[in-house]
Order: sequence, then C-alpha cells, then structure tokens
Amino acid sequence: MSLFINTTLGGLELGLCYAILAIGLYISYTMLDFADLGVDGIFPLGGVVGTIVMYRLGVHPVLAIFVAAVVGALSGGLTGFLHVKCKISGLLCGIIVMTGMLSVTLALTMLLSDTGFTGVIFNYRALGIEGLFNGEWIDSLSNRNKMLVIIGILFVVVLVVKVLVDLFLKTKAGFMIRATGDNEQMVVSLGKDPGSYKIMGLMIADALTGVAGCLYAQMMNQYDNNCGSGKVVIALVAVIMGVSLFGNIRCMKGTTMVILGAIVYSLALNYFTLIDTNGTFLKLFNAVFFALVLIIGNKRKDFHKIGWKAFKKPKKESVKNG
Amino acid sequence: MVELERIGKVFNKGTVDETDLFVDFSLTVRDGEFVSVVGSNGSGKTTMLNLIAGNVSPDRGRILLNGKDVTAQKEFVRARKIGRVFQDPSKGSSPHMTVAENMALAENKGKPFNLTYALNKKRVEYYREMLRPMGLGIENKMGVKVGSLSGGQRQVLTLLMATMTPIDVLLLDEHTAALDPKTSEQIMQLTGDIVREKRLTTIMVTHNLRYAVEYGDRLLMMDKGKAVIDKSGEEKARLKVEDLLKTFNEISVECGN
Repeated sequence: MSLFINTTLGGLELGLCYAILAIGLYISYTMLDFADLGVDGIFPLGGVVGTIVMYRLGVHPVLAIFVAAVVGALSGGLTGFLHVKCKISGLLCGIIVMTGMLSVTLALTMLLSDTGFTGVIFNYRALGIEGLFNGEWIDSLSNRNKMLVIIGILFVVVLVVKVLVDLFLKTKAGFMIRATGDNEQMVVSLGKDPGSYKIMGLMIADALTGVAGCLYAQMMNQYDNNCGSGKVVIALVAVIMGVSLFGNIRCMKGTTMVILGAIVYSLALNYFTLIDTNGTFLKLFNAVFFALVLIIGNKRKDFHKIGWKAFKKPKKESVKNG
Repeated sequence: MVELERIGKVFNKGTVDETDLFVDFSLTVRDGEFVSVVGSNGSGKTTMLNLIAGNVSPDRGRILLNGKDVTAQKEFVRARKIGRVFQDPSKGSSPHMTVAENMALAENKGKPFNLTYALNKKRVEYYREMLRPMGLGIENKMGVKVGSLSGGQRQVLTLLMATMTPIDVLLLDEHTAALDPKTSEQIMQLTGDIVREKRLTTIMVTHNLRYAVEYGDRLLMMDKGKAVIDKSGEEKARLKVEDLLKTFNEISVECGN
C-alpha cells in the first residue's frame, strides 16, 4: 500500500513537472500547429544552464529558472527563424535544433566539472548546489512529507505558469498567435506578418520547455545530460490526451486540460513501473499508450454517440456541403 | 484612389505554359468608385485583385494606392489599408476563435497587437449591436466559434470585419459565389449598403452578370488581360444583362469554348 501511495506521489511530481512542458506544447502544437521536436534538446539545455548558473554564479534556484526560460526562448526563436526565414519544414527545424543541442548541452557540462571534461550525470549534492527542493529544512522531513512539499511547490509553479499563459492568451498578441495557427491569411489581412507571430509563439513555448528542464533537474537533484530523450513524446501525449479526455467539458481552459493530461499520463507511466520493475518495456509502453491516445482521440466523437461500436467499422467521411 | 500603371505580368515564364496575362494594362479607380468586374476564367480578374493586394507582384509597371507607390510593399504591409473578402468564407476569419474574438482582432487592425486585453464586455455588446441589423442571428452567437457558423454568416462577419477600420480600397473576390442564391442576394445587398454608407472605393469581381449590372457605378469586362467593356455613369446605368451576355458569348466563341 505504501508503495502504491509513493508511486502515486511520484507520478504527481513528474506530472506537474511535465505539465509545464505540456503547456508549452499546447501553444506550439495546438495553437500554431507546429510539432516542435526541438523540445528534446531544449529540455536538457534548460537543465544544464540552470545548473551552471547555480553552481558557478551561486544564483538563487528561482532565478535559475528564469535564466533557463530565456535560454529556452532563444532556442525556440532559432527553431522559428529556421522555419520562417529559411523556409525549412517545421518538423525538420525541430530535428535540426534538437540534434545540435545534444552537443551544446554536452559541451556545457564542461563548466560543471572541475577537470574541464564533459560528463553525463552531475549530482547537486556532489556539486554543493541547493535547488528549490533540497536543503536542510526539507531534508529534515520524512520521505512522505518531503514528496508532499515538493508537490506543493511544483503545484504553485504550475499554477503561476498557467495563469500567466491564460492571461497572455487573452491579450491582443495572444489572440494573434491563436489566429496565426488557425488562418494565416487572416493575420496577413490584419496587416501583420504571420511569421513573426510563429517565432513569438515558439519562443514562449520553448521558454516553458527550458523552465521544465530546469525544474526537472532541481527535482531530481541532479543534471542528467540524457534527460531530454523522449520528452517531446511525453508532452505530446499529455496535450493530446488532455484535450481529448477533457475537451468536452465547457468552461475548462485548454491549459487546465493539458495539465490534467500530463498528470494522468505520468501516473499511468509510474503505475506501469510497478509491473515492469527494471524499465525494459517503458518506452514500448510509451509508444503503445501514445498510439492508443491518438486512436481514441480520433474516435472520441463517435464513441460518445455509439459507444464501443465506434471501434468496429470505419465510418465514412461525411461529404461537406459547399 | 487605386492606380495600376502599365502593368505587365507573365506567368510560368520560360516554360511551355508561358502566358502573357497582362501586357501594358492600366486602370484608375477614383475615390469612392464602386467597380464591378466580370469576365471568363483566366481573363485576369482575380490576378488584378491579387496585384493590388500584393500576393502577386507585377513584372513591369507600378501600383499606386492613394497616390503612394506600393509596388514593392509586402502583402501584409499593404493589407493595413486594404479590406478583402474572398470567395471562400473560411479565409477571412479564424475558425477556432469566437465571433467576438474575431471582431476584436479586426477592430484592432492598424494598431499594435500588444499585451493589453483584446476584449471586454463593453466591446462584446458593441459588436453585438453591429451584427443585429444583419438579421442573420449572429448577434446571439458572440461566444460561438466561427468555424461552426454557416457559410453565409461567416461571409457577413468577414465583410463587417474587412470594413471595420478605415481602408483605402475594398476588394471583393467573388464573395457571394460559394453561397446559396438567397444568402447570396442578402450579402450583395448588405455589400451595397456598406459601400454606400462608408463611401468605400470598391473593386468587386463577380461571375453574376446581374449583380455587376445592378451594383456599382462602373463596370469592367475583362478578357485576356484587357478591359473589353469599361462603362460608368449614365452608360453603365443603361447597361443590361443581355448586352453583357452578348459580348461575353462573342469573347467565349473567339476562345473556342
């Protein structure tokens, strides 16, 4: 039982961290219709830069999060620049940035080791860094209470991010980002360049990716240079699942949907580790789960109407009336 | 005022499909003039609108808006002073945003899109009152996503949005062609009212010869990049659909269709 509760709490922790990632992807994927694979490279970038400024400059962990946001925004801007100005397809821009970032983050780890060599895992305790989630006051707590405190802090961070993003989406600039993904011709008609709004949207989305990476490192109490792998899939699943699970609920904001999506997904992942204890099949579970979410998402409308029959025979595309 | 000066435009240059659409084409539309443009497919009507709007640039010649040379300006820069309604009702609005949100965007055209709130209750009421006289029931759908409106409702919304801010010229690109006859009639009347009320310089491309005769104070019939009929004032008022049809048929016979 206590194992179950710990697994649940662990899932909540991760879920809240991924929620920030998911809010970012909600902007780039849902609003701008841009599948930003750069996330896999920018997530660890946020982590390594945050760790470096805490280690080398002794910056406060909260400030480190802001630094990670700025670095993330710049990388998102690079993705956007490649897409808009160099006219490379969105998917490829993400892959280019992600690939490049793998070396950049590795090179940056040289700043974390005193020998000047690159490394993969850097423990905060060994480096003597105090993140948001460690320090004397939190070490004195019991394991269970420690997790609850971490969840509490993460919850506040997610709430702040959510409220800020919601407010932004209500502004004129936010409206333009929504319109850009929806109908570029309309943005042109309004006398604005849709390209600049794409870049702006990607910068905001990847600023959040950087924040999530930095928080993740602080939460894990270590920087792992491989922490980015598979993050874009996690965030996409969270977004798509959140929107298809809760999309029917009126008055629920998109940001809330994807936060819940992220939490449900990481809980599922964590429960799976109870069965698959050495993690062999974790990625396969990821892939199958993603496929299922997409299939159910596609069938959702029919499912509400005709139940399980929706999965039996393919429904013909209804002919649109002119 | 809109001026096209000695425009030359070749499509598919250097290929077997090379077409000289415009060779030395000039047109001046005076302030407040409402021009209807008819012509067969490929006659250059829509290209003419595209040249003015800026999503097609000419090989030769100049385009002037209110006396200012805009030939080199990008489409989105030019759009600040141009209102445009397309044939496809989905082109003018954002389907996942609500009616009120779309109108708020349109109203802000030409001003900076900054970090201030885009919408408040007072504005929503103002937009509602704007929509009420249209009689299409959109005023009760302020919070509904535009994507779920009918084609006619969307087109009315687009027309209102295109004319909300001061513009130099309104371009209508077969804007009633995708609608059923009744809605089409309704929107055409509405267009006439708005253009008259706001004294807009308007260029309307249409395949409906009756609309071309009934509306506007100048009529152009285009063929192969030239204006074969250009009547205004008294002459235009005396023009009948039959006359147009006759010329239209003559042109078509020449082309072999």
